[in-house]
Amino acid sequence: MNRILRTATIAIALLAAAPLAASAENVRMPVLVPITGILALEGTSQRNGAVMALDEKPGGVEAGYDVTDTAASPETAVNALERALAQPNVVAVAASIFGPQMLAMMPIAAERKVPLVTISGTAKITEMGNAYVFRFFPTDAVVKVAQARYVVEELKKTRVALVYQTTAYGQSGQAHLMDNFKRLGAQIVFEEGLAPAVKDMAPVLAKLKAANPDVIVLQLHSGPTALFVKQAAASAANLPIVAGSAMHQPSTAALLEPAELKGVCAESGSSPISGGSPAMEKFTAAYRAKFNAEPDAFAVAQYDGTRMVLDAIGKGARSASKVRDALATGSYEGLAMTYKSDGTGNMAHDAVIVCYNGSSRVPTIVKRYAAR
Amino acid sequence: MSVTSAPSQPAFRAAHAPWIAGAALLALYAAFMGDLYGLRLLTQAGVYALLVIGYQFVFGHAGAFSLAQGAFFGLGAYVTGILGTKFGWGFLATFPLSVLLPAAFALLIAAPVLRLETHYFALATLGLAQVALIGAVNWESLTGGANGLVGVPRVTLFGARLVTGWPLLLFVWSLVAVGGLLAWRLTRGMKGLAYHTLRERPLAAASVGLDGGMLRATAFVLSAAYGGAAGALHATTLGVLSPEVFDFSIMVACLTMAVVGGRGRIAGAILGAVLLVHLPEWLRGLEQYYLIAYGAALLLVVILAPDGLAGIVDRFWRRGRGRSETLPFIPASTRGAHVGGAALHVENLAKSFGGVAALDGVNLRVAPGEIVGLIGPNGSGKSTLANLITGLYRPDRGRIRLDTTPIETLRPHEIARLGVRRTFQTAELIAGASLIDNIAVAYAATANPSLPHARSRALTVLAEAGLTSRAWEEAAAQPAGVRRLAEVARATVRGPRLLVLDEPSAGLTEDERTTLVRLLRNLASKGAAVLVIDHNVPFLSGLARRLVCLEAGRVIAEGTPGAVLADEAVRRAYLGTAEKKP
Repeated sequence: MNRILRTATIAIALLAAAPLAASAENVRMPVLVPITGILALEGTSQRNGAVMALDEKPGGVEAGYDVTDTAASPETAVNALERALAQPNVVAVAASIFGPQMLAMMPIAAERKVPLVTISGTAKITEMGNAYVFRFFPTDAVVKVAQARYVVEELKKTRVALVYQTTAYGQSGQAHLMDNFKRLGAQIVFEEGLAPAVKDMAPVLAKLKAANPDVIVLQLHSGPTALFVKQAAASAANLPIVAGSAMHQPSTAALLEPAELKGVCAESGSSPISGGSPAMEKFTAAYRAKFNAEPDAFAVAQYDGTRMVLDAIGKGARSASKVRDALATGSYEGLAMTYKSDGTGNMAHDAVIVCYNGSSRVPTIVKRYAAR
Repeated sequence: MSVTSAPSQPAFRAAHAPWIAGAALLALYAAFMGDLYGLRLLTQAGVYALLVIGYQFVFGHAGAFSLAQGAFFGLGAYVTGILGTKFGWGFLATFPLSVLLPAAFALLIAAPVLRLETHYFALATLGLAQVALIGAVNWESLTGGANGLVGVPRVTLFGARLVTGWPLLLFVWSLVAVGGLLAWRLTRGMKGLAYHTLRERPLAAASVGLDGGMLRATAFVLSAAYGGAAGALHATTLGVLSPEVFDFSIMVACLTMAVVGGRGRIAGAILGAVLLVHLPEWLRGLEQYYLIAYGAALLLVVILAPDGLAGIVDRFWRRGRGRSETLPFIPASTRGAHVGGAALHVENLAKSFGGVAALDGVNLRVAPGEIVGLIGPNGSGKSTLANLITGLYRPDRGRIRLDTTPIETLRPHEIARLGVRRTFQTAELIAGASLIDNIAVAYAATANPSLPHARSRALTVLAEAGLTSRAWEEAAAQPAGVRRLAEVARATVRGPRLLVLDEPSAGLTEDERTTLVRLLRNLASKGAAVLVIDHNVPFLSGLARRLVCLEAGRVIAEGTPGAVLADEAVRRAYLGTAEKKP
């Protein structure tokens, strides 16, 4: 009887201890990204990048994850974060590309001391003194400088027509572009904000041509970028277009004929389908095989950010605070660039300019802008 | 004091028992199941509950399909957001402004917007929301543009900042309780019945003196105030604000919560908000497929529960629970009754529709205490005359007086308030209400109306009409004769000064017709002027002392029934020949 009792006691103790042991080992990195709504395209790339890194389990380092759709509202993102943080052993969160969602999640992350690894371009997220935000996509302060410099220094254009989206992404980029063109001595001869729902670009193209610019600079989301480029080609505007990062996305280029892309360039953090290194080419092939889609810079950036977290875990950072410290102080050689915090959470400091030659949907990297 | 007993009216406490139990369950869920994530969801559900309780005023009660509730929500949120982030105002200072500003805005636009018919009204209110969204995105210096505002102050009470979790949850749900209680007081009893009538039968509402425009405007302003309050709570609980608060998805969520929970019900608003805030979270694990599951679940609820979840609960709970209610006996002369009869004077009245003259120079007089029958073939202008007298139409020419008061330019409810009552060709009974409440609503436009008083008076009239046993039965389920008599009862319950009846005998059995004659004679004996339009000439001949015959918009004969029926012009009008007897 005593033996049975002892065995039962040991079994119960083991069963009770099992979750504790497991929870000490199985760290988690939830993926909270918008896979529906206005940023579904970019959010899906972000999801794929994070999932790819987590599924690879580099060096045997494993982090559990769930993917949660944050859709298009800050409220949904906050709920998703609270839900994720209700689970044990969350050491970092792959957090939304959508700026307003990041702004809503950041106070909670700071309160709960969990780092957010994001690729959001909204400048404000690293300007608020929040020590738990790490951005792996170059901020507007980097890519908009590259975009403006390429226009003025390489293309030698000085009469700029600027068309931007009336969203957080568009307005943030517009402000940086205005400053940079002014600093570089270029003149903004035309400027217009477009709502994401605008489909007919003919009116804005007509007004734009009347202002007699020598270059068109775009700061639009993916769909509007494709519409604008298509209609600009059809209207024989014959002006070079230097677009925002949306234009580097293979999904954007897929909406256009190669001929319509002639003379179109874009800024980006990277361009995986353009190649550049064996590691990048290996990633691109693996990505295509896993998701049956073309990778873009957002996928690469989130992949790199997630890999940096996994790298830190592999080196012994088993808690959120240790992962945060590793991100804040360490550096990581990623696929796109070397990442290191500037002290505010900006990890990416390089940008590229890609251009299409009119015969292919695969752009060529024509200029790299490294941190100065 | 005598008492009157009416069968099958559920008692108040029993009717509310499931909701009290539901509230207790919700509290238990929060207490035992709620981690920070669960408490946040419940807090968010509270914010939406307040939004939807407000929306029930305009959508549920007034029956106006407003799409502006999301805009009021956003406006309230931005008032708190802007004042909090740019001027450092605390929540307790910004909250009243978040309530008042949307309400004031709603008041400003109520007059032009509420004039519009249903779908145009919906489009106009949707337009408001879109303008607000564009303003929030583009007025960057004030609103922060698409990035929005960061650092909206949290609620501080007695020097303590209410953090996420229990403190914020209790604060939000306290406001929901206050808002719900206020809404209940504003829509219960006669007020609720008035809104129900306006929503289901606007003509009937006007015919008992209810000012539909004022009721709708009040509901619109109240909904805006609640929307603003919810928006303020949203901003402070989230701590950030972006133009997404004006997004159409907020309006869709609000509408869905109202429909799924139960239109017009406070419990429905809360149930809908709690369910629809939690449902996407329960399904979130399905990743991009959760929207399909979410849509399917909603579709299922709408198909299986057209009255919403609250409607299902009510229906199951009330099944077999009807019991009698004791109503105080109210003598006929007490408040709410019109005093004495009034003479109707119609002079040279004309009305055309396009090129067709419906009435052309009609003169008519009905003295107090007199019953006058109005006959004429189809299309002769009888109903047009009734609609002109009761204000549904405006005459092109001529005058209508009640005693010495001109009424031809007054609106229907204003004429009704002078003591003019009417019935319609098709009985305008309120669907979803009992027979007794269809009659009690006649008192809705009196000062300080009381539902028990009105029901007591209604029961007396129902007894006179032989309908006591059907008092609490659904009006829509009654046979045509009962419906007709019930409408007459509504028109007569307050002792009108002038009564206009449009084909009251149609569909009545012989017994019911006898009852009708008795009711009308009794009314006339008390001084009321009665104008009865009917095709049943024998019925009218037995009822009225005087007949007036219309033909092609003109009076062609007037006098005693015998004289009019013998008139050659009348016989020709009815039969196409003067040779045969009618």
